[in-house]
Amino acid sequence: MANRELIEKIFNKGKELGLGDMEVYIQGNKQFDTRIFEGEIDKYSISDEVGLSFRGVYNGKMGYSYTEKVDESSIDMLIKEAMGNAVTVDSDDEEEIFAGSKEYKEVNTYNSELENVTSEQKIEFAKALEKAAYEADKRVTSVNYCLYDESTSYSVLANTKGLNLENKSNIAETYVSVVVKDGDDIKTGEKYIISNDFSKFNAEELAKGAVDEAISMLKAESIESGEYPIILRNDVAASVLQAFSSVFIAENVQKDLSLLKGKLNEQIAKELITIVDDPFLKDGVVSASFDGEGVATKYKKVIDKGVLKTYLHNSKTAKKDGVESTGNASKGSYKSPVSISPTNMYIENGSTSVDDMIESTEKGIMIIDVQGLHSGLNAVSGDFSLSAYGYLIEKGKISRPVNQITIAGNLYEVLKNIDSVGNDLKFGFPGFGYIGSPSLKINSLAVAGK
Amino acid sequence: MLSRPIIEDVLTAALSTGGDFAEIFVEDRFNTGLLLVGGKIESGISGRDYGVGIRIFYGLNSIYAYTNDSTRENLIKVAKEAAAAIKGSSINQVLDFTKTEIENIHPIKVIPSNIEKSQKVELIKRAYNAAKNFDEVISQVTVRYLDNEQNVLIANSEGLYVEDKRTRTRTAISAVASANGEMQSGSYGPGAHMGFEFYDKINIEDYAKEAARIAKAMVYADLCPSGKMPVVIDNEFGGVIFHEACGHGLEATSVAKGTSVFAGKLGEKVASDVVTAVDDGTIPNAWGSQNIDDEGTKTKKNVLIENGVLKGYMIDKLNGLKMGMPSTGSSRRQSYKYAPTSRMTNTYIANGSSTKEEIIANTEYGLYAKYMGGGSVNPATGDFNFAVSEGYIIRNGKIAEPVRGATLIGTGLEVLKEIDMVGNNLGFGQGMCGSLSGSIPTDVGQPTIRVKSITVGGRKGGQ
Repeated sequence: MANRELIEKIFNKGKELGLGDMEVYIQGNKQFDTRIFEGEIDKYSISDEVGLSFRGVYNGKMGYSYTEKVDESSIDMLIKEAMGNAVTVDSDDEEEIFAGSKEYKEVNTYNSELENVTSEQKIEFAKALEKAAYEADKRVTSVNYCLYDESTSYSVLANTKGLNLENKSNIAETYVSVVVKDGDDIKTGEKYIISNDFSKFNAEELAKGAVDEAISMLKAESIESGEYPIILRNDVAASVLQAFSSVFIAENVQKDLSLLKGKLNEQIAKELITIVDDPFLKDGVVSASFDGEGVATKYKKVIDKGVLKTYLHNSKTAKKDGVESTGNASKGSYKSPVSISPTNMYIENGSTSVDDMIESTEKGIMIIDVQGLHSGLNAVSGDFSLSAYGYLIEKGKISRPVNQITIAGNLYEVLKNIDSVGNDLKFGFPGFGYIGSPSLKINSLAVAGK
Repeated sequence: MLSRPIIEDVLTAALSTGGDFAEIFVEDRFNTGLLLVGGKIESGISGRDYGVGIRIFYGLNSIYAYTNDSTRENLIKVAKEAAAAIKGSSINQVLDFTKTEIENIHPIKVIPSNIEKSQKVELIKRAYNAAKNFDEVISQVTVRYLDNEQNVLIANSEGLYVEDKRTRTRTAISAVASANGEMQSGSYGPGAHMGFEFYDKINIEDYAKEAARIAKAMVYADLCPSGKMPVVIDNEFGGVIFHEACGHGLEATSVAKGTSVFAGKLGEKVASDVVTAVDDGTIPNAWGSQNIDDEGTKTKKNVLIENGVLKGYMIDKLNGLKMGMPSTGSSRRQSYKYAPTSRMTNTYIANGSSTKEEIIANTEYGLYAKYMGGGSVNPATGDFNFAVSEGYIIRNGKIAEPVRGATLIGTGLEVLKEIDMVGNNLGFGQGMCGSLSGSIPTDVGQPTIRVKSITVGGRKGGQ
């Protein structure tokens, strides 16, 4: 491979200029994105991109650099910048190039059958999805997003300690968002599927789900402010957990940016809560056999029956805490230094069905969407106040849609106030890890409305 | 960056199946980032973004392709692959480029890459010390420094051939205060379309102290009450309310499709009389400014709302075709990896006639939002939300106790009509705005304003 030659040349040049251990990480990605609007192709985008990340030890510190111009013309810049950056580092934390784990478990994240699906078929699928959304109900006035995106990626990690790892994966995503109108009342609904198995993409079912949800919100009204029992539907619970997942990152704990500091082996949540980080999960979007440093990944329970068992580590934070890396080193992209992220992390299924949760609620709210997770939520303090909508539950039954409310609370209090855990585990959009949760019923949250 | 003959060949290949318009966007950008945590430089990373985007219009549709391999062979291959999505026949088009020389209205004095890294380190350590030493309650301070120099070349089949250079720098300070088992944070991130001389114009330590002051004020604050009440939103970053609640709905992206609540409302009264709102990409050296947009059109000052009446949208070429309206120089993209579309630049509510003091004194009871965090909006319904990062209760026309954890929610059309007082102290704040064409630098701005009634979501029950 041409890459191998380039990597050798980079290492040789680095050695010549006085660098110690070095590592090259290459990330390549081919993408196909299409979006349909009113029966026409509104977006058709293809790309073929590659980026190279370099790091090396100089003066005892790690220096980083990267380039998207992956050829020999970049070698000098990569080495010079990495050396310049290493010199600025004065943190005492030791960062090393990793020689390799004994064993790497095989993980399959590439489905060759997806290659056999033609662009025409994918476009047809997206068109069918839009059509199905319009046909699902006459109140659908527009389908504001109807898309199919697909990417095939590879990564190569090679270092001067002899490590040579490669990974290949592909994934497709389809998403539909509809606008329904009844008089002056406008509502939206959305659904998505993420998988590398095209046979799982069912246009009718997806469209119907989005339309039903939008329709169900028509005539929604706010509610009196107060404290209410709250059911977070599985997808909402997953996105809230995702937004808070940084509290488990050892780096944040060590830097006093997580209130989980000093809480290992303590009961921090109700016994009903077990949180797993599983890099080998079948259909897990971020499944991998090695992490961003080349360390073999492993299955672990982060919270076991409410007890905090471990933080998520890379080599640097593990060394500082005197433990082994949990294989959670991550490279957000070739542009970022090694950090830490969850892999496929989820709250394990409980035993209560959503129907049972509703039935046992005298007066409460089931939340089916929250907004403002990036702003209305503070992962450092655990406080959140989120714009939300969903359904009012009265006497064990859904009585009407509710919108223009906020739900507010604190993560650490919520973990201790879980009433029941659903049996409907669902994963959200992959981002900072691939995070899932079943529906959760919380004893009480502050709701702001009228 | 790319020679004219290559560009000509690529555009010709892009039009080989009957496209109406082809464009090439070449980007070469150098980024530097430094991260300081707890007084020590944790990491430094720098590198080069480089790639080419090719866009084709046919009718009202478009195709986009990008690659980092800028050899002639590969670019022609990519252009042909993209063109293959159109099943028409080639039109023989003669390409004749006229190089447009643009006037640089954002002069850069000190190119950041000419500055020693040690000087950047010294800058962020000063910021760290100022925040850390502000008060003993400050338990952690993180400072991120970044600068970038983006060179772009934009050429299209209409004969446009233009180059631009954008240089930006920003320092973001985040301070955490800890007391009684609680942590609260405060942050400030000044930035500009400017070189390293930016740090001669501002005193970074003032911003660092302010971040620390916010964290301290909030760690001792009570929970915010909830319910509908008047809210006074202070100037600068407070302008995020207009950005989220209305700005996104005024982008042609959603207007052209009719999915915005502002579609078809030109000339109509959409806000109270005291509201005039502007998007201006020409403010010299402002964070969201550019000489030209990412389609090569000169940026402009666009009046969106004047005395409450909807006057205009922010429009890019493609959506302009759909709407039958010209581009307003509003087409932007994060990088060559994104097809450009209509976005905001520096968006603000213009000065009114009240003073901040009058506004507070005229408010019997309500919330004073001194600093705002981020937010988001659903353009179809206009539902928005955003976070108050430093808040106080107003009682009897005076600022009283601090409160934390408040979120403001409402709908764009509603809130515009509820603005009943506008101050005369217009100021700007810097942010990154994420949407269809990626994450881009934008300024938000406003004077102090009052919203008569809006839903405040806090953790303390109703009052």
